[in-house]
Amino acid sequence: MKKIIFLFLFILICSGITLAQTGTKKKRPLDFEYGRVVLNNYSEKTGFAPVVFNHWLHRAKFTCRLCHVDIGFAMKAGGTDIKATDNMNGYYCGTCHNGKATSTGSGKVFEACSKKFTADDGRRCERCHSLGKNVKPEYEFAQFTAKLPKERFGNGINWEKAESTGAIKLVDFLEGVSIKRPALAIQKDMSIDAKLEGMPAIIFSHKKHTVWNGCELCHPEIFIGVKKGATKYSMVEIFEGKYCGACHGKVAFPTIDCQRCHTTPVGG
Amino acid sequence: MNNNRGSRAIALAAVLVVLSGVPVLFDGGYAAAAAASSQDDWKKEFEDICSMTQDSMSLTPDELRSLVSRCDALRPRIEKLDESQRKVYLKRLQMCRDLLAFVLESKAGK
Repeated sequence: MKKIIFLFLFILICSGITLAQTGTKKKRPLDFEYGRVVLNNYSEKTGFAPVVFNHWLHRAKFTCRLCHVDIGFAMKAGGTDIKATDNMNGYYCGTCHNGKATSTGSGKVFEACSKKFTADDGRRCERCHSLGKNVKPEYEFAQFTAKLPKERFGNGINWEKAESTGAIKLVDFLEGVSIKRPALAIQKDMSIDAKLEGMPAIIFSHKKHTVWNGCELCHPEIFIGVKKGATKYSMVEIFEGKYCGACHGKVAFPTIDCQRCHTTPVGG
Repeated sequence: MNNNRGSRAIALAAVLVVLSGVPVLFDGGYAAAAAASSQDDWKKEFEDICSMTQDSMSLTPDELRSLVSRCDALRPRIEKLDESQRKVYLKRLQMCRDLLAFVLESKAGK
């Protein structure tokens, strides 16, 4: 009897350990899924599938600043509180997706959430309201990115290199939306010492970041201090999506790609 | 004679109609122009202020303070716009103001 109880307890403990170790491991997104945002503040409530927004396609054409500063998209999913009427009025997605030619040079952009709606428009709606639907995209990730420089992590594309080598040409100004401004005086690169002994220091390039973001996308919402060392943060906070993690790990290359930031050799 | 009188009456009536119409037309045009001007006013002010963000590091504390005050003065005007415009431009104004205030604080802390 004792043996049976012992065996039962042994099996119970072993199965407990096994289950505890498997846990719920987060699935690594596929290349074309990386940076994907699902918008569902109002979609399902109004009978539509949630909107699937692919960052990769938009970041290949526009700077982050254009959408998150000039057009006004929040940095957190769902934070914009976008409604179909906003698009119809020519704001948010409707800024470019207006059925007209735009200053982006990419020709006619399909209209998002038009006021006039016909039975044939169902397919157009599904171009965005596509979660859980088998919608054939206009642009296919592998084909679209075939000639872009490659990287190990994220969605496998080195977007910074793609921009600096001219493989992609980013639009940073929309007539009637953006404000004409003088060119930004680039702040100097700075080094940030790693807290872990033996870990190479970080060289932070303002130049690389301002090409995509300008000033107000990062300051002061993400980085509070302007002086070096004013904002104290750790890798744990970055992994939690704060500071660098506001973009890196969500849309920009992920923080598991250590060498992209920790570039200075120790003692170098 | 009678014909002459009739013509005069018609001419007088036409002049009166034209004269009474002028102020109405002028008023309407003026109101529309004023509305358009008011519409452009807030946007011009917004653009004037927020075009300075890229130069904010080179501005003096007094210049930055003035820009922050102008942001605060502009806010109530943007709050009166329709919902879509209000959402977009309040956020844009807030980002612009935050950056200017942030640079001002960092300069004051030096």
